[in-house]
Amino acid sequence: MKIKAFWRENNTLLVVALILLVLSVFGSSSMGLEPFVRTTLSGFTLSALYFMVAAGLTLVFGLMDVLNFSQGSMLMIGAYAGWQFYTNPTFLFGLAPLAFALMAGLAMMAVLHPVVSNWRIPEQWQSRLRALIIVIAVVIGVLAVVGLDFRGLASTAMVATMVAGNPLAEATPQEPLASFWIRPVLLLLSGALIALAQARPGDPTVVVHKDQTRRSGMVVAGLLLLVVVATLVRESGPLAVLTMNGNLRFVLALIVGALVGAGLGAVIETTLISPLYVRPLYQVIITMGLAFVISELIQLLWDPLPYAMSRPPAFSQPGKAENIWAFFRGGNTTVDILGVTFPSYRLFIIVLGVLMFLGLTLVLKYTRLGMIIRAGVQDREMVEALGINVKRVFTLVFALGTGLAALGGIGAAPFVPVEPVMGDRYLMQGFITVVIGGMGSTTGAAVGALLLGLARAFGDYLALKFSLSPAISEASTVIIMAIVLLARPAGLLGRRE
Amino acid sequence: MSEKAEKRVNGKTGAPLSWIKQHWGELVVVAGLILFPYVFSLLSGTSVSQGATKFWQGQLIVMFIMAVYAMSYDLLLGYTGILSFGHAAFFGGGAYAMALFLTHVAPKVTGSYRIMVGGINIADLLMVLVGFLLAVLVAVLLGLLFSAVSSRVKGAYFAMITLAMGQAIHILSKATDFVEWTGADEGLHGVPVPVWLNPTQFRLRFYFVALAFMLIMYLVTRRIVNSPTGRIFVAIRENESRVRMIGYNPAVYRSIAFVTAAVIAGLAGGLYALWTMSATPSMTSSALTINALIMGILGGIGTLIGPMLGAVLMEFLGHFFYQWFGARWPLVFGVLFVLLVLFLPYGIVGTWRLRRLELRQGWQRFLRLLKPEKE
Repeated sequence: MKIKAFWRENNTLLVVALILLVLSVFGSSSMGLEPFVRTTLSGFTLSALYFMVAAGLTLVFGLMDVLNFSQGSMLMIGAYAGWQFYTNPTFLFGLAPLAFALMAGLAMMAVLHPVVSNWRIPEQWQSRLRALIIVIAVVIGVLAVVGLDFRGLASTAMVATMVAGNPLAEATPQEPLASFWIRPVLLLLSGALIALAQARPGDPTVVVHKDQTRRSGMVVAGLLLLVVVATLVRESGPLAVLTMNGNLRFVLALIVGALVGAGLGAVIETTLISPLYVRPLYQVIITMGLAFVISELIQLLWDPLPYAMSRPPAFSQPGKAENIWAFFRGGNTTVDILGVTFPSYRLFIIVLGVLMFLGLTLVLKYTRLGMIIRAGVQDREMVEALGINVKRVFTLVFALGTGLAALGGIGAAPFVPVEPVMGDRYLMQGFITVVIGGMGSTTGAAVGALLLGLARAFGDYLALKFSLSPAISEASTVIIMAIVLLARPAGLLGRRE
Repeated sequence: MSEKAEKRVNGKTGAPLSWIKQHWGELVVVAGLILFPYVFSLLSGTSVSQGATKFWQGQLIVMFIMAVYAMSYDLLLGYTGILSFGHAAFFGGGAYAMALFLTHVAPKVTGSYRIMVGGINIADLLMVLVGFLLAVLVAVLLGLLFSAVSSRVKGAYFAMITLAMGQAIHILSKATDFVEWTGADEGLHGVPVPVWLNPTQFRLRFYFVALAFMLIMYLVTRRIVNSPTGRIFVAIRENESRVRMIGYNPAVYRSIAFVTAAVIAGLAGGLYALWTMSATPSMTSSALTINALIMGILGGIGTLIGPMLGAVLMEFLGHFFYQWFGARWPLVFGVLFVLLVLFLPYGIVGTWRLRRLELRQGWQRFLRLLKPEKE
């Protein structure tokens, strides 16, 4: 009986595993062991990348029925941010005060609310006042960044990538503090004005709890501190980062990339997606437009060129390690695995992907947030009825999804070209992954990523064998998607409608 | 029934004069477009086929083609409520079909055969027509393929699958394996367009061809959306389960809408290939799909005329944006698009139709203020 129940619950997974087993026996006997192992490992690397894009997609879709078409762009932003941080962080340090200032201003909503809600404003003037405030805020915000040399800041890492040698020599002088300080102040003002409009002056119907005000006040204070610190370390920061140990810098780059992605995701969810829950079609359209904007913006800042980020020192000692243990001591570029010479950095990506999967599964299974997410996937209205602030959970999950994609991006940056078409490419593969795996299921995304990654790797191998270009194998992954869709429209592990 | 409404009813059955009266707006636009090259040449002082006049004819030709392309997308998004992100595949498919045929097949045929009708060799003309037929064929096949794969899903899921498939087509159009045929990344250039339709030599002729193309396509599409089938498209957009309950199969009608839109986009692509005398991977890229979306949202989806207006505006503004902002001008459009989706989701025409009554009332109230007071 137990076996029967086990089979019924996991039959899809077991069938997939069986097919993979048969294929691998067949493949290893016909290809020879060495190319087989190499191709499989490459497949696992790709799988890890695809999983990082797909995990966010499937989580967000499962919980809030939003399909984020800018997920690929989030991976791209992660890659660019991490590349910038690792190669020459002048750009990030130059913009950080401005971003923090705007965030501090925007976070003031709950702080301003108790003050402004008691203002006496005639009802018909309230909405006009709000519109006026927002217009003023936008004007101030634009004034704050006028004349700032974005492209000049952005070009520092470009130059550092193309001119090999001492990146410290390329750290360009920035605008002097005496004229720079006005910018964060203006942005703070602009953000605060938007927060003021959001607090709806004169409208006592909006209720903000006292502890919410206190919490926001702490957040604003923290952000203001960050603004001051970021303004002061604008020029010394990049130097300090660049003189740091390369491995530490890479770890920091991973964190910065993921944080930039998550922060951007939170901003996107609150400003662009949450007003459109009543019009789901427009949500999709706006994320698509956003992907377009991001790709254009990146081309504006860094030109439509591919860049190669260098690997961190832990993966760049010349020579081949005899085994994994030797690699840990030596930090070589390649490792010997079952007689196959394999780039060690790609192993790191596989480990990163597996860790991400395990971490996500554990979070979903054992934490309060995970419990809310799982419950929300099952029945959103019920979770809302039980008194959980679904709005905040949505923002959090969206940020989590984009953050994972961005982490994947910076993880991938050292071995794939960092270029503006990254977004489109990984978006397509992420979509195919979630279609295969089934929407709303993390395990499904993992299975889909595994299948797709292996298919890509073996497809590339076959394409090479028949002297075709890898583009053919990339395009033909659509066939797998078509087969799965025709057989099981909900995907391998998706909910059936 | 008011006098005006009665007139309108009579106009449908009655004299041509009232027909003209009813459609005067459209007729004025058509007449203006026909006269445009001549009026412009008079105003600018350049001859009809030279200088600024020629340049603006070219701009209008692109607008016409893009208007048809945007209109085909509106048939999907605005009327049937289908969100497809693979639309560029049809446009590009049509363009590639035309360009490939004219480059690789047509010269062999025209080189060895002559098809005489009344002393004129019409082989060239036939080749162009066959090219359009092939564009239609490619569009139908691609449309069927897309809808076969995604017939069981809808909404955002559908958008996702069409995007993946559109990307696959884009990747194939760039693939180096077919470099002798498609020119891979570079695309096909210098397509041997028949001399009498050469857009650089006979710009004015091409202008009228494109204008006629747009008008015919507009009439055809309008006929489709006003037909019983078109009503079902709208019904699917409004409430799919009710359509199913009445006894229509939504999947079939969605496929019909999809293939129809694909064909129209394919034809537009074919003409675009003739105009640029090339077919490049950028014609299948997702950026072009976004363009259709921007045009649609800008003009107002579900109105047919809106997306055409959006296309005209976008090409017109694009021309100036290129001068002001340089090569990255689409960024401005992208930002504009996001703002439009947030604040003006019904577009220009849609908002106008929604607010028409209010505006008219306001205008009348204003007029009443100016009237002399009656005793």
